Formats: sequence, C-alpha cells, structure tokens
Amino acid sequence: MFVLDDLLFRPFVGIIDALHTIALDELYDVEALEDDLKENQLLYELGERSEAAYQRRKAELEAELETARDVHERLASGRVEVKR
Amino acid sequence: MTNRYVYGIVDGETIEFETDAVAGAECVYTISHRRLGAVVSDIDTTDPEDTDEDAQRHDDVLREIMDYDGGTTVVPMQFGMAFEGDRELKNVLRGARPAFRRAMTDIEGRFELGLKLVREDDTAVDREAIEADIEDRLEPIAAQSVENDLFSDRLVLNRSYLVGRDERETFDDAVADFEADHDELMVRYTGPFAPYSFVDVKIGAQ
Repeated sequence: MFVLDDLLFRPFVGIIDALHTIALDELYDVEALEDDLKENQLLYELGERSEAAYQRRKAELEAELETARDVHERLASGRVEVKR
Repeated sequence: MTNRYVYGIVDGETIEFETDAVAGAECVYTISHRRLGAVVSDIDTTDPEDTDEDAQRHDDVLREIMDYDGGTTVVPMQFGMAFEGDRELKNVLRGARPAFRRAMTDIEGRFELGLKLVREDDTAVDREAIEADIEDRLEPIAAQSVENDLFSDRLVLNRSYLVGRDERETFDDAVADFEADHDELMVRYTGPFAPYSFVDVKIGAQ
C-alpha cells in the first residue's frame, strides 16, 4: 500500500516542490531588491529623501538582499528542503 | 601585499601618483607590457569586498587617471579586479591586447556622462515626447549613447553618453536648456566618468 501511495502521489509532490521554488523565487526577488536600492540612492541624490531615511532604507534593503541571495544560493545547491 | 588591484588600462604611459586608493592603499602606479599599462594599487586579497567607500575610491582614481598629465585615455575596469601578481596581470595584457587597443581607439579623448530624468511622484508625463526631445538635443552632440535600466517607475529616461572633451560645454548647455524647458521633470546629470558603458572588454581576475 505504501508503495502504491508513493507511486500515485510522487508526480504531485514534484509539482508542489516546483511551485514552492517559484514562490520562494518571487518572495526573495534579488533583482527587485537591487532596483529598490538604486531607487533609494536616486531619491536621496535628488534631495527627495533625507540622509537618515536613505540610510535606514538602505540598511533594510541590504539585509533583505543578503537573505534573498542566501535563499537563491540554497535553492541552486538543492539545500532548501520543502517541509510538508 | 603582493596582489595588484586594477583600475584601468592606459597606452604605455607611466602613471604614478599618491591618492586615497582601494582597500587603504595610498599610491597607484603602472605595470606595463609592450606599451600597454595597467594602473594598479597594492592589495592583500584577490577578492576585494564591494563596499560603497571602495567603489567610490575606484571611480575617483579613474577620474584622476583621466585628468592625469592634461588628459589620459583609460579603458576602465569594473570594481573588483585583482590579480595575484605581475606575471598574471601581464598575461592578461598580452592576451587581451587587441581588445584593449580597439577600446582605446573608441574612447580616445572622450568621457561618459549620465542623464536620468525622473518624474514627480503621482504625475504622468509623455515619455515618448520626452525621449524624442532628448534625442533631438543630445544625440547630435554625443559620439554614442546607451540606454540603461529603468530601475524605478519614476524614471522616465536613463542614458549614458560618450562625449568628446571638446564637446563637453555644448553638451552641458543642451542639458541645461532641456531642464529649463521641462519643469515637470527632475534632472540628474552626472559625470564625467571613465567610459564604462562604452567598452566591452571582459577579463578574468586570478
């Protein structure tokens, strides 16, 4: 019975893994974070954002970017486990 | 510190000056191979950390090279190119010699200027008309231009221009005239920079 379950459900598990990977990709969008960093810099240079606001936002974005890059590195190396 | 951090490649000239260089170095100098010179400073790693401060120093040193001796043509390297020693660096100068020579011919006597046009928040603008206006005013003066990434919704235009030293004033005036005619836009005009956007020489650091 266990073998039959395994054979029946394996394709669906594969799809769930793929969907999970896509979701992680979108949640940790490195390119979007890099764009946000550039926009933050631009608005500061144009005088629309104060130095304090610029530095605060920069620190937030850099931390998010580090996390995102780490997640992508793990995804690429297959070290991210999908827990069910 | 036996590794060499590379800023750019020049035509055989011996460049040496004291400055605030990448990773705390205080002097840049040239390592030459058959009339091609790599402008370098000493560094204790081949994998320098990409900090804002050092990225700024990299740009500043390139600007100093461009101003050196009344104007020097330099093929700029991107931030982070460091080599284990002179032999590895000379091998690169030997291998990429034709590409460096071509790049030098393309950018000789010219530098890069950047132009970003930003719309006010929550204000719609006619992008096509603005692009056409900029093209009419600036393209005839510039030797080349490239479109850059529109990384923000508020960016209407983001271009880099390769401009001859002799055309600088004309180009500045054209940008100022455009700005005066377009109250609806914020203009971010930057440079001169070493012409990063107009050279395509890829080398591997070791």
